[in-house]
This record gives sequence, structure tokens and C-alpha cells, in this order.
Amino acid sequence: MKTKKNLIAIILIISTTMGFAQTAKEISEKASNVIDMEAMEMSLTLKIYNAKGRVRVRQITMASKSFGQINKTIMKFIAPADVKGTSILVFDYEKKDDDMWIYMPAIRKTRRIISSEKGKSFMGSEFTNADMSKPNMDNFNYKILSSETYNGHSCWKIETSCKNEDIEDKNGYSKRIAWIEKGTYLCYKIKFYDLSGELHKVQSIKQYKKQANGKYFAFYMEMKNKQNDRKSQMIINKFQIGSKLPESSFTPAMMDK
Amino acid sequence: MINKEIFVIKYKWFIIISTLLIIVACIFPLMKTTINSDLMSYLPDDIPSKINNDKIEKVFGKSDPLLIVFETDDVLKESTLKRIQTLSKEFNRMKDFDMVISLFDTKNIKGEYGAMIVDPVIKRIPKSESRREKLRAEIKTNELAYKLIVSDDFRYTVIILNSVTDKTDIELMSIITELLDKYPGNESISINGQAYLRAEANDKISRDFMVLLPIGMLIMAIFLWFSFKEKRGVLLPTFVVAISIMIAMALIPLFGWQLSVIGVLIPIMMIAIANDYGIHFIAKYQELNAKHPDMTMNEITKDVTSYLKKPVILTGITTIVGIGGLVTHVMLPAKQMGVVTSVGVAFAVLLSLTFIPASMTFFKKGKILKSFSENQTKIGFLNKLLVKLSAIIAKRPRQIIYIFVSFIIIVILGLSHFKIASDFDSILPEKHSYNISLNIANKHFGGTKNISVMFEGDMKDPEILKRMNYYEQQLEKMPEIGSVNSIASMIRIMSRAINDPGEEFYDKIPDSREAIAQYLALYSMSGDPEDFEDFVDFDYTKAVMLIQYKADDIKTINKIVDKINLLMNDDENLSVIGGTSLIDKDISRAIATGQRDSLIFAFFAIMILLMIIFKSKTAGLIGSIPLLFALVSTFGIMGWTGIELNIVTALLSSISIGLGVDYTIHIFWRLKSELKTTDSYSEAISTSLRTSGRGIIINAFSVIVGFSILFLSAFPLIQYFAFLIIISILLCLVSALILIPAICVLTKPKFLKK
Repeated sequence: MKTKKNLIAIILIISTTMGFAQTAKEISEKASNVIDMEAMEMSLTLKIYNAKGRVRVRQITMASKSFGQINKTIMKFIAPADVKGTSILVFDYEKKDDDMWIYMPAIRKTRRIISSEKGKSFMGSEFTNADMSKPNMDNFNYKILSSETYNGHSCWKIETSCKNEDIEDKNGYSKRIAWIEKGTYLCYKIKFYDLSGELHKVQSIKQYKKQANGKYFAFYMEMKNKQNDRKSQMIINKFQIGSKLPESSFTPAMMDK
Repeated sequence: MINKEIFVIKYKWFIIISTLLIIVACIFPLMKTTINSDLMSYLPDDIPSKINNDKIEKVFGKSDPLLIVFETDDVLKESTLKRIQTLSKEFNRMKDFDMVISLFDTKNIKGEYGAMIVDPVIKRIPKSESRREKLRAEIKTNELAYKLIVSDDFRYTVIILNSVTDKTDIELMSIITELLDKYPGNESISINGQAYLRAEANDKISRDFMVLLPIGMLIMAIFLWFSFKEKRGVLLPTFVVAISIMIAMALIPLFGWQLSVIGVLIPIMMIAIANDYGIHFIAKYQELNAKHPDMTMNEITKDVTSYLKKPVILTGITTIVGIGGLVTHVMLPAKQMGVVTSVGVAFAVLLSLTFIPASMTFFKKGKILKSFSENQTKIGFLNKLLVKLSAIIAKRPRQIIYIFVSFIIIVILGLSHFKIASDFDSILPEKHSYNISLNIANKHFGGTKNISVMFEGDMKDPEILKRMNYYEQQLEKMPEIGSVNSIASMIRIMSRAINDPGEEFYDKIPDSREAIAQYLALYSMSGDPEDFEDFVDFDYTKAVMLIQYKADDIKTINKIVDKINLLMNDDENLSVIGGTSLIDKDISRAIATGQRDSLIFAFFAIMILLMIIFKSKTAGLIGSIPLLFALVSTFGIMGWTGIELNIVTALLSSISIGLGVDYTIHIFWRLKSELKTTDSYSEAISTSLRTSGRGIIINAFSVIVGFSILFLSAFPLIQYFAFLIIISILLCLVSALILIPAICVLTKPKFLKK
């Protein structure tokens, strides 16, 4: 699972400059960079709703920092009580599959997890592991569809489609359409289309706050599954840029601390 | 009576126009006829197994799995795996399925080098022999795949699809078939699953109608032509049969019903039964025409009508009552059959007494047929036989009864092999892809039957999970059970990946709720949370245990259900026991009780009718003997031949009672009338057999010819039915012609002398 800049780098691949005649790819790239953080710490609430409106709530703290070529993230469950203290450590490499460990306090055991599927759900939510990672820009074709005002934001509608079926399978979608604000390059909405080309999920991103380093961070994200009526919300309770944690904190041996 | 005749002739235009109007009125409902081949849907909604199944499906979603079985010498061959991979990918892309299980989707959860690995069983297709053998060894240790997705000998593998489509079964199956054809390979493919069964049955029901109905009508017309050598002899009875079929079939959509597999029988039954009354009319007309060349057409019509009215109405009523017994049946298709066929027969009787005479008056008198006299010589042989037979009956009635008793003893022994069908699998031919795949699934995989047990409570509570785990282990000891899966087994599999062999929690349900929650959290980081959705609900308050097993009779199903009850009955968290095999069990019971009830109803109704007709209790009792003899023999023969009692063969007894009793009535009638003029039973029997006996034989053979068309059906069930009904009619015939006179010789019942 690529957890790089989890939650933050989330989703938005997108970028460009304000320059004249920017290509869709440039816009997408800009959008990706405007939210890219080197290091951060936060606490968040993950709410997972089923179709009947029943909800599972998870409280998580999280720290992420890059060490050389490796981005390391540590997540810890705060609630519910039965998983409190469970920690997950992820090493996100540029060119190979992630390394991941989980510490289970109930049996006082750290276990490494190996899984190669990225199109699958993130912690049982409607967000996917692919959403949590920064995909390779070259895997997609980009197209400006039109300009549209969304929630008062003047946006480009950019379509990003997977170049081949393998990439589709890996990411779990065939294409997506993102609403990227002109000027700020902030993405406010993304529609995901499934492997047979039908609308699958709609993500809305709100409450961007500009950080000290000039980058933006979204404090609220929601993913609605249009096919099974489930939805998940990520609400950031606390956030800070940078992390004072030493590299030694991001090791399997320290997970029980 | 005279008034009535006058009515028929006087109002002939009214009768003919009314008949034509009925035809027109039938066309509209007929156009709305729909087929529903899903026999499960015919079971009343309020039976416990259906209610229980609905409860489970409400929580865990509808289960309508389709199994595609691939057979080759080694499924791990590169070409086979490539094909499975491509197909699996394509199926995953289709909206019609919410679940696709293949070697490329099923999880391999294992612990290796201190890590928990959750991968598809096959991540990469092995290209070398050594990699292939490594994969084989790995699969053998994967209890989510071995003997579930791939057979023990690696000759078979399956793709399982759970259908959630809005498409019809036929549309869905054609998409699947197209896809299978698009990616061809050397593997032979067979399919099973209810959707496939329904699609195939649906197709075959339509095919049966298209084939059997015209062939049936044609054979009937040929039979009529050879019997009468006259156009009217073919046209009028055929017309009556055609209208009766239309009326009977139009009632189905009119009552809001759909056509089932059994529906195929309805027109054929009408062909076999409904022409009898018309045949009598034409035969009598030809007889009078030959005997009294001076009579006008109107006079002949009057005479024939008044002569035939009583026997036609009586035999019509007994047939209607017999078949009407099916109305008491629990299964809707049987009930439908009872209702529509009874109404159809009633119309056939009515039309034979109104429309045929009314139409006859429009025909000129036919020539006196040469064949009529030719027939006499042919009948001479039959006559000789019947005379000999009557002599034996009169001389040795006791021996005849001994022979019948010995026969019945032999066939009764067959009752110990009598079986009630446990499912609808035998609906399609043995060599059909559906049954081939069923056999493979039963032989090489966990079986095709399933029972689901739902538990309610805190599904992270180790105590509940440990109990579930215990039940699973106990059930898995039974040889019939192929697999038992639940959230408890998933947790146990995870415990093996999380802990190392020899460690405290290896291959165990952990002791604390927290540990279970953390196992699940771990899984949600690596696997797909949907992997659990088949086993536990969103709130972790309900869980289902899926038990897969093999059974080909009700006894095995009962054994499994008893074991489940014994193990879990006292469990306070046990909520519901469901699953399709319990519905099968209920259907099976419904068939048996429906058979019993309709049989008892028909039997006693006919007995009472006989008592009324002959104004004698003895007539009712003696007259029931051929029916009893035919029924017991038929069931015995079913036991000996291994033909099961199923939704189709269960209709047999009511129909044969309804038809078979006619022969007894004719014989009684004739004996009674002969004994008025003579005291000699020998003489009375001889005359009765030569006259009425001959008629009965011709009648019985016309019915047999009608039913033999069913041998051309695409459904083996219906072919068995044809075989048994023919046997049953022959037995009724033989006992009416031989046993009844023998009993009468011995007992000399008073009612015959009245």
C-alpha cells in the first residue's frame, strides 16, 4: 500500500501553471504538487457508512516523513477500544512494492504484511489504497474536457484515463474526472469510473487550508460509492507540517511504544 | 333429453358462434403467457425454509451462484491458467456479478518469513515446471482454494460467479457463453447453477411446446384418419382438442400464473384425453350411418347425442374429479395443472356434446365406409382373444386373482427402493452440461448442496467464535461435508498467518475480543473487507456459517440437518438455519404430502362417485380395486426402476385414477346391462368384453398413443412420466378387463343384478 503523503497527496495527480495553453497533464501535475508535503503529523477520524447509514468510526493518529528515497508513515488506532494501540507502519518505495507492518497489542506481536493489490479498499473504507498514493503520471492520458464552476470555484474539468488494462486493474478504475480550480490548482471533486466505464464513486474535497510552506491541505474528504450507496469520510482533527519524530520511531521495533 | 337435442340442433348457430367467440377470447390471454422455470418460486412463501432463507439473504445478500467448471489434464498448464485469468478479468468487469471467484481472485493467506501475506492464489502464471510444482504444493495447503476452486487431482478448476443481474437467465447465459467462446481453449467446460438450470429449462419448455404440440396434433389426426377414414372424423375431434387446449392454456395467464415445466404436459394430456368424447361421437355416428342408411343427418345426430350423453358426462366427471385432486397439492404447478386440465376436460365434454353435434348437422351424410366392414375382420381377431379371455375368467377366477396378488407382491417389494427426489437436478438429461458439472462438483469438489446457519451476537466475542469453530470441526468430520466456512474459520486461517507454528495462538481463535478485532484490522489493511461480507455483517452482530456438502437423497440431507441441530440447537446465539437444500427438502416434502393428499382425495372421491353412479357401496369398493392395484404397482415399479417421485411423476396417480376409472365404469355398466338378460356370468362377461371391452381397449390405446408423444420431450422427468402413465393405464385396463370380472364372478355383487 502506497501510503505516501497519505490522505494528503490523496487522489490528486493533477497539475499545471497558470500559463497560457497549459496541457491537461501540466494542470494535473501542478495540482499534485500543490498538496505535496515532505513531512507531517495529524489525527483524523475515518467514518465508514454502509448503505443503510450505519457507521463504523475509527480514530487514527498518523505521522509521515521522507528519509532519502523512502517515505515512511506510522499510523496508530486510538478508537474503537478493541483496536486501540494497533499500529501500522508503511515504507513507501519509489520503485518497488511497499513494506508494511502491523503491531497488535492484544497479542503483543508485530507482523509484516505483504500485499500487492492497490485497487482495494483502504481500511475497509470507500477510499482505496490507490487513492492514498501518488501514481506515476506517465500511466495516464490527460484531457481538458471543459471549464465549469463548481461550488463557486472556477474549475477545469480534467479527464485522466488509464493507458492500459493493467493500469486500470492496479488502480481499480478506468478513468476519472477532476474539478481543478483555476489559479489555485486545488481539486474539489473527482468522479471515478469503474472498469466497465460506469460511474463508480464521487469524491468531494473541502476545507483546504494554506500551510506555512505555501502548500494546501484538505481537512475534509468524502467518497461516495454510487453503485452500492456506501460512503466514507475522512475528517482531519489536527494537522501540522513537518514531524519531529526521528527515523528510529519509524521502525517495526518501536511500534509497541 | 329430447329438449336438449332440439336445443343442440335448433341453436346450432348460437353454439358454433359461441365456440368461435371462446377461441377469440382465448387469444388475448394466450399472448400474455410467460414461462417461469424456477420451481423454487412455486413453493408457498410462508414455508419455514423460505422464510429462513429470506432472513439470511436479507443480511448477506442474495446468493445465486453459477459454477463454470474447466476440465483438462492439468489446470496449472500455462494455456489453461491464461484462459482462466482472462475470463476471470472479464467477469470481474461485468456488472452482472457481485462476486467472481477463481484461482486469480481467491485469497492465499499465509505466514512466511515473519510476514502475513494476502495474495491471490495465483499472482503470476508459472512458466517453468519447477514453479508450477511449487504453486501446486502451495495450493494444496490453501484451504480456501484446494478442493474448492481446484480439484484434488488438479484436473478441474472452477470460476464461481454470484449473479446480481437484472438480465433474464437466458440473456445472462448467452453473455457467458459468448465470453467463453471468445476465449477458446482445450479445456472442456460445463456449467451449473440455478440461473443456468432455469435458462436451460426455459429453453426446453419452449422447445417442447414447439415440438410436442404439432407432433401430438399430427399423430392424433393420423390416428383419427385411420380410425374413421373421414374428414369430419379428423376435423371435429381435433377441433375440440384444439379449443380445449386453448382454453386450458389461456387460464394460466388469466389466473396470473406462469408456465412451468409441468405446463408441457397440459396440451399433451388434452390430446390424450379430450378427443375421447369426440371419438365416441364419430364412432357412434358411423355405426348408425352403416346400420340405418335411411336416417337423416339430424336424426343420427339426435340419436348419437342422446345415447352418448350419460356415459360421456360420467366418464368426464370421473376424469375431472381424478385430475381435480391435484388442486389440493401444495406446489402451485400441480395445483395449476389440476385446475386448468379439469376445466379443459370439462370444455371438451361440453363441446363434444354441443359443438360436434351442432357441426355434424352441417355435414352431408358420409358414405358408408368400406373400412367399416374391413374393421370387422380385424376386430374378429381381437374378439377371439376377448372371448378366450372371458372363458378363462369365468372358469378360473381364483387363479386370476392369485396371479394378480403374486404380481402385486413382487411390485410391492420395489416400494422399499422407492425414492423421493431431493432436488430438481434430474430435470435435465444426464449427459447435459449441467449434470456433468454437478457430478464433477460432487466428486471432486465440496458438493453442490448448501446449508447456511446464521448466528446473532457480538461476532468478535471469542466464546461465540470458538463455538462456531468447534461446530465447523465436528461437521467437517462427516464424509458428506465438503467445506464449512465462517468468520471463525477466516480468523483461524489468519491466526496461522499471524502466528508461527508452535506458538500459543497458532491455528486458534484468540482468547480476547481485542485480539480478534486486531486480526480483522490487520486484514483490512491487506485484504479486501468484502472478503468477509459473505460471513459477517457490517456491525459484526450477525454471522453466517456456510456448509457445503454432497447428497443425492433426502436421507443424507436429513442426516446433515440432524447433526447441525444436535450440535447447535442449544446455542443461544443460533438465529436461523437456512439454505437452498432446506428449501429442496421442503419441496420434496411438499411433493410427497401433495401426492398423498391429492391421491387420497381422488381415490375417495372416485369411490364415492362409483357408489353414487351404481347406487351401491360394493360398486365403490370393487371399482376401487383396479385403481389401487394400478397405483401400488406403479409406485412399486418406480422403486424397481429407480424413477423418483418428483414434481412431474407426483401428478401421475391423480391422472391415472381419473382416466383409469372409466374402464371400470364401462365394464360395470355393461355387465349390469347383460346380467339383466342372463343369469350366466360367463355369458355376461363374454359379451361385455367383446363389446365394451373392445371399446375400452381402443380408448386406452388412443390415450397411450397421446401420452407416448411425451417420450419426445427434452425433459427426462416428462419421459419417465410418459412411461409410468402408460404402464399405469395398461394396469388399469388389464385389471378392469380381467380382475374386475373375476372378482364379480366370485362375489356376484348385488348391484350388478339391480
